[in-house]
Amino acid sequence: MKRKWIPILNFIVLAIILSSTVFLFGQVRENKMMQILVGILISILYVTWGMIHHAMQGDLYPKVVVEYLLVGAIAVTLIVTVVWI
Amino acid sequence: MMYRFLRHFFLPHHTNNHRAKALHPDILLVYILLLAVFNFSFRYIHTQYPSILGYATDIRLGELLDLTNQKRTALGLSQLKLNEKLSLAAAKKAQDMFANNYWSHTSPEGKTPWEFVTSSGYEYSMAGENLAKNFSDSSGVVEAWMASRTHKDNIVKPGYKDIGYAIVNGVLNGEETTLVVQMFGATNKEEVIAQKPVPLSTGTSTEALGDQIPMNILDVASPEATKSFLSSLSSVIQTPKINIPTMTRVIVFIFLGFLIAILIIDGCVVSRRKIIRVAGHNVAHIMFFMAICLALMFVKRGVLL
Repeated sequence: MKRKWIPILNFIVLAIILSSTVFLFGQVRENKMMQILVGILISILYVTWGMIHHAMQGDLYPKVVVEYLLVGAIAVTLIVTVVWI
Repeated sequence: MMYRFLRHFFLPHHTNNHRAKALHPDILLVYILLLAVFNFSFRYIHTQYPSILGYATDIRLGELLDLTNQKRTALGLSQLKLNEKLSLAAAKKAQDMFANNYWSHTSPEGKTPWEFVTSSGYEYSMAGENLAKNFSDSSGVVEAWMASRTHKDNIVKPGYKDIGYAIVNGVLNGEETTLVVQMFGATNKEEVIAQKPVPLSTGTSTEALGDQIPMNILDVASPEATKSFLSSLSSVIQTPKINIPTMTRVIVFIFLGFLIAILIIDGCVVSRRKIIRVAGHNVAHIMFFMAICLALMFVKRGVLL
């Protein structure tokens, strides 16, 4: 019963992380460099969350780690593209 | 053949190890490389062919003045008169910002806006300065100023009588910049309050990368020369065939939509077929990309000071 709640709790934590960092991104909208730094922070937190989540689920494999790293890198590239142009 | 390729690319199947090929690490890496190529090629084309790929801008002095006076009139305040000396002060300020490469009310050498006002021959009893950069049109500039408390305070200050503008294109901190300097003033000797500048911050000064205002012309005493010089700083109008910010956003949001759609399709198929596989969590990726979409909506080019 307890284990059933862990993934739900993990997703609630992810929702909190994402919403608070997006809010922070909006707060620094006057400063491009800060926006990029917050964008990198969002990605780092997401990759970290992914590692912890999959470790708790017992399916943390190198392939999964690479996937999360690449997804995070795509997000950073997109943010840099829009902020710097 | 085509059907097989599409199925392999977009749907989980035994040919792609039950994960849409579009979500495989090697393809994710290709996306990053394509985005990098897109970035560099956009910048290259912009520098080579700015009339084709550039920043659409239409900021005019007349519109800024009319819109500012409309805001004042709506509050029952007197209209501001365009003052040549204040416009010259604004031009000097813009020239100094480009020459010394800073984005601040005070120059790296400590020069305040009031020094530009005084050196232009305007004897102020109160004065103020609003700055804006990289807006695409006049109404965008005025609306952004009105939405900011400190800038709005300047626009709707009852004591001001005169106003001056400089609208200039140049390169600031390595970035192509359309700068708008708005100077307010009053010469009424009874009001002896010199308004403090709106929050000051020191801009990073590296090297002067651009200066489109000839330095010498600012020292010309001839009223005709000054007049023609100021009229050259009364608007910035650029109409490239492709507007970089719009094009970039369209491409980025289409790409994010594409990724989210593939993740949804992949997740639905895997869930329906009850396939167990080693991969990242689709729901988490969707949440993450949607958060990035939301964050990117906050990005705007125009900045105030």
